[in-house]
Amino acid sequence: MRAVAEGRRGSTMEGLRVLVVDDEPDFLETIVKRFQRRNIDVVGVDNGKAALDLLEEQHFDVVILDVRMPGMDGLEVLKEIKKRRPLVEVIMLTGHASVESGMQGMQLGAFDYVIKPAAIDDLLEKVQQAHERKLLHEDRLRNSKLLQ
Amino acid sequence: MVRFVRLRLGAFLGYSAAALSTLLAVGLWFSGSPAFAVGIFLVGCTSYYGTRRLMVDVDRANAQKFLLDQQLIQSQKLAAIGELSAGIAHEINNPLAIIGQEVEWMRHILQNTRHAEDQLEDMRDSCREITRQVERCRDITHRLLDFARKKEPLMQAVNINRLVEDMARLVEKEAVHKRIRILRDYSENIASVHTDPPMVRQVVLNLLINAMYAIGEDGCIAITTRTSENGAAEVVVRDTGCGIAQEDQGRIFDPFFTTKPQGKGTGLGLSICHGIVSKLGGSISVESEPGKGAVFTIRLPIRRFAGEG
Repeated sequence: MRAVAEGRRGSTMEGLRVLVVDDEPDFLETIVKRFQRRNIDVVGVDNGKAALDLLEEQHFDVVILDVRMPGMDGLEVLKEIKKRRPLVEVIMLTGHASVESGMQGMQLGAFDYVIKPAAIDDLLEKVQQAHERKLLHEDRLRNSKLLQ
Repeated sequence: MVRFVRLRLGAFLGYSAAALSTLLAVGLWFSGSPAFAVGIFLVGCTSYYGTRRLMVDVDRANAQKFLLDQQLIQSQKLAAIGELSAGIAHEINNPLAIIGQEVEWMRHILQNTRHAEDQLEDMRDSCREITRQVERCRDITHRLLDFARKKEPLMQAVNINRLVEDMARLVEKEAVHKRIRILRDYSENIASVHTDPPMVRQVVLNLLINAMYAIGEDGCIAITTRTSENGAAEVVVRDTGCGIAQEDQGRIFDPFFTTKPQGKGTGLGLSICHGIVSKLGGSISVESEPGKGAVFTIRLPIRRFAGEG
């Protein structure tokens, strides 16, 4: 089983699409650039509304989502994403975290919490794990449909 | 009961045999057969120690059985409450929606018609209150549904030390302001654990937040990871907080049980943790000396067990 999981991890970058949502332009730009440098298909937007609109039109596997944003805040966006696209995995980014929001986020189905400023390798690893989880989830749904 | 009698009878026979052998040995000694006497005496001793060992083992097994029975009862209780809460949550949600709509309607009317200003302010006040209460109920029902929902875990390999450290850092930012120190002792021997990472994060975070709440200000939370004797991964969260009263310790994993002031906690946090950990094939337990703090231990299987999806 382990071999399977690792084999899968090796290929999690293929077809992986990431959406980054953050209102700080500097942070957003850096993260998008660094992901692109590693050949990851990534799109960045600076607010929750735009993120939800984009999710309606395009396919994404993992969303990296800032908790504190003007307009729709991260938790609201998370709730909406989980309602509309339950299979999409969401990693929350947080600057000055309130643990209460952390707990809410986890309960709402966030995959993980990352504290800003995040080391790019850490973030990348979490994105891969989140993607692996999405693939596992899809596998399970496919299998359960086959069984019916 | 029959088993108990048979067991005691066996023990009685074992001890009697030992006593008789000793008597016989004394008799033989004085009747001039010291060699036989020593032999019989040794037989007596063996019988005594054998019986004694057996009884100790039986007592230990009984204690273990008692513990397992308790855990089983707890799990069954929680499963029953889970189903019940799903029913309640659905029932509550509908009236809540209606209350919400009514409030909207009242607001609408208030905007259009002329009323005495203080009357209006009163009405607005009660609207706000209704909205607040509805929010609160909604929160409870969502958590109840969450508790009851059969979310099946998705097993992934994860570094448990990293996972715990991530949650510790999240809490640390707030803990520092309350002069609460977080100490770490992570075992390097834990390889990756096969489990559901977000679920475990939720449990660990919950325990850390509880620890912080129990301390209030000035204190220390110690987090340990280790492997147990039977090869499970253990995460231990120890705090120097107020501790848990003896009579409450058996109930803290029950849904709705809370010692927080009314309106502060739903009493679902630890029962959700219990549910998650059981689903992952593990267990959670607590030890506490009131006034000195509490120790929560989560045990998780390291590898997936057979027959699990």
